[in-house]
Amino acid sequence: MPRIHLHRVVLFLLALFTCVPVSAQSGNPPPADQVFSLTPSRSTEGGLQLDWRIAPGDYLYRDKIAVKTDTGETVAVTTPPGQIKDDPTFGATEIYHDHVQADVAAADLPATGQVVIIYQGCAERGICYPPFRKRIDLAAMTVTNGAAADPLQDIEAAVPDQSPVGSPANVSASGDGIPATTRLLSGHVLAMLAAFFGFGLLLSFTPCFFPMIPILSGILARSGEHLSAKRGFVLSAAYVLAMALAYAALGVAAAWSGQNLQIALQTPLALGAISLVFVALALSMFGLYDLQLPARWIGRLSGGAAGNRGSIGGAALLGFGSALIVGPCVTPPLAAALLYVAQAGDLARGASALFALGLGMGVPLLAFGTFGAGLLPKSGPWLVRIKHVFGLVFIAMAVWMLSRVTPEWLTFELWGACLIGLGLYLGATSVLSKKFWCNCRVGPEIPGAIALVCGALLLFGSIPGNDLLHALPILDSCKTNDEAATGIDVQTVTSLATFDAAMATARATGKPVLLDFSANWCVECKIIDRSVLGNKTVRERMRDVVLIRADMTDYNDDSRALMQRFNVVGPPTMIFLDAQAGQEIPETRTVGPVDADTFIGKIASARGS
Amino acid sequence: MTAVTMLTSQPAVLLRRILISIALFAAVGSQPARAEDADTTRDAILNDPAAPIAGNPEGDVTIVAFFDYNCPFCKKAEPDLERVVKADGKIRLVYKDWPILSEASIRGAQLVLAAKYQGKYDVAHQALMNIPGTKISAEQMREAIKASGIDMDRMDADLAARADEITALLRRNLAQADAIGLQGTPGYLIGQYKVTSALNYNGFKRAVADARALAAKR
Repeated sequence: MPRIHLHRVVLFLLALFTCVPVSAQSGNPPPADQVFSLTPSRSTEGGLQLDWRIAPGDYLYRDKIAVKTDTGETVAVTTPPGQIKDDPTFGATEIYHDHVQADVAAADLPATGQVVIIYQGCAERGICYPPFRKRIDLAAMTVTNGAAADPLQDIEAAVPDQSPVGSPANVSASGDGIPATTRLLSGHVLAMLAAFFGFGLLLSFTPCFFPMIPILSGILARSGEHLSAKRGFVLSAAYVLAMALAYAALGVAAAWSGQNLQIALQTPLALGAISLVFVALALSMFGLYDLQLPARWIGRLSGGAAGNRGSIGGAALLGFGSALIVGPCVTPPLAAALLYVAQAGDLARGASALFALGLGMGVPLLAFGTFGAGLLPKSGPWLVRIKHVFGLVFIAMAVWMLSRVTPEWLTFELWGACLIGLGLYLGATSVLSKKFWCNCRVGPEIPGAIALVCGALLLFGSIPGNDLLHALPILDSCKTNDEAATGIDVQTVTSLATFDAAMATARATGKPVLLDFSANWCVECKIIDRSVLGNKTVRERMRDVVLIRADMTDYNDDSRALMQRFNVVGPPTMIFLDAQAGQEIPETRTVGPVDADTFIGKIASARGS
Repeated sequence: MTAVTMLTSQPAVLLRRILISIALFAAVGSQPARAEDADTTRDAILNDPAAPIAGNPEGDVTIVAFFDYNCPFCKKAEPDLERVVKADGKIRLVYKDWPILSEASIRGAQLVLAAKYQGKYDVAHQALMNIPGTKISAEQMREAIKASGIDMDRMDADLAARADEITALLRRNLAQADAIGLQGTPGYLIGQYKVTSALNYNGFKRAVADARALAAKR
């Protein structure tokens, strides 16, 4: 008799409960708020579309769904026919299970401001929830809680609905450090600009900013013998200004499309284009005698025969491009400013904050460009060598960027080709000649030969189907393997559908879920994988957490929908979710770089909730 | 899906739901953490002098019922609850009017609590619990109370004179339901157990037996 067994098991477990101090919360049903999750969106006709996900076993009443304006006027809402529930105790009612979509026509919506959504439902197991009141900001499509339900307020002096208006500070995306920066955004404009400039200065010391240094160095090196401190300043100023403008452009794009342009640009096309620019630059840097391109091309690319005219424009172009494409690193200030622009619609303020952020990031570059320029040799064979070195750096940049979209084996092929090129450049072949051995001198040929051999190994070893790569432990460890890197089981999702499926599996475990927004091109994510998820204590704590990785490498409608569902600006962003309800656990989100200790704290609060 | 079909098809899910719906009423201690929490101590919940009680005042198990007059599950469970209290003979039943589902529910609770002053709380309570449905208006409730033979003039007079007392009791009930973490109606405290969904006759009976067994062990 299964029923009797079940009863025994329940009693046994209850007896267990009595032995340990258990708070009354532990066995509670999920918070009522989490059984009906409401997602608003704009319909194609400009109306308001309301989607409810209803937890299994729960239902919503059709006739209890209502929409009101801020002033309490009723707004017409269209709901689909529901399932008829006819029960002597209930009377005939229309209800919805699983999912329902209601629509408000554009004509019925107030132009701006907020609407209040009211809905109510029950669970089949025998409990009815009080009505929910949710405020939806029509500009930002964010959901905030309406007035705290005080059913008795009507009895006493009728207190008007005084719930706080959903300012951006109250938006649901409250990431680590984001609330503070968001408050700054709505403060005094000078304080805001100064703060974002300061944030930029701090961010310039993070790894995602490092690629900017060789790029600027390359630009300076191209000036060759004409490089002076003054010219260094002018070139780096052009680079930095353009970079700051690119950040401001991110704000404009966010206001227009609600998207993070940096991520939208991580496409094969954009990355291919900028890689080509780098290759072209590199060729112009050693092309004059090694690799001949049509003179017309070289003239264009290097800005004149002497390479010193028009290169200010080139520096600016590279500054703009590299800020947008080279270092797509989402950080709390960037995320805050982008969300602020997208939600509050204050374009000027958001864009100027981002501009200040870009300027702040550029200050070390400016110093480097001005003072570094004075240190470079002015003439001699060194000058040529330096150009070549940065030519190589540019080639490496191009491969590095392409590696975000090329398959792993092709990336290794490209690196192999680079190394072979380097080896040949260093004169590795002369190692084979008699003359080399007779002279008995140690030159660049030896490292060149090493590079050549390594390159050849890579080139042949990474041909698909060839197992040589696995035979080389060092190379094998370069391969990106989520589980190997962290030792944590990870389920990768790329769309809402796969995410929901993963959540369903996670729900069965009863553990909280860590939703990790990551991407192959995200440098910071790799660092988090290594230093945070690879941390021994973190790995231990993560045993009680299900890791779901939202892979944003391919930026498309699916990945965008996932990011929008959780108000995520870009990777790296990590959110802990309550698996039962599929909702974010407050105060657990991290945006951008995070250290192991902070993260352990987040795990603790996720498990404690 | 009924519990029986679930038992055969998804026993684990049913088990979890039962565990979820029954938790120990242990968080509410005997000492208030702060002075303003005095209304939500275990003692205040079980022995609020203004709360109507039924069953055996000297009973060895107390059932505290939190309910709403527009809650279908409360109405469905009500006859079984009354039957268990009557059949058992040693259960003390405390009524907590907890009007959270609709505005009419608040009005209904006020009327029923006003009827208490003429000694007719249970009559008015049964009158409202016996109206089937989930969308009962305040007028329908008033009609039902009238039909049950309550002195309406006296009820209205008591409602006017005792408005503050009644509101204060409702406020305490709201605070208590919050304190023990109830999310919706109905909610029951059965001895040491908290039950967060409606039960049938056997469910109540078993919970009372479990509560007694637990009390004996302590």
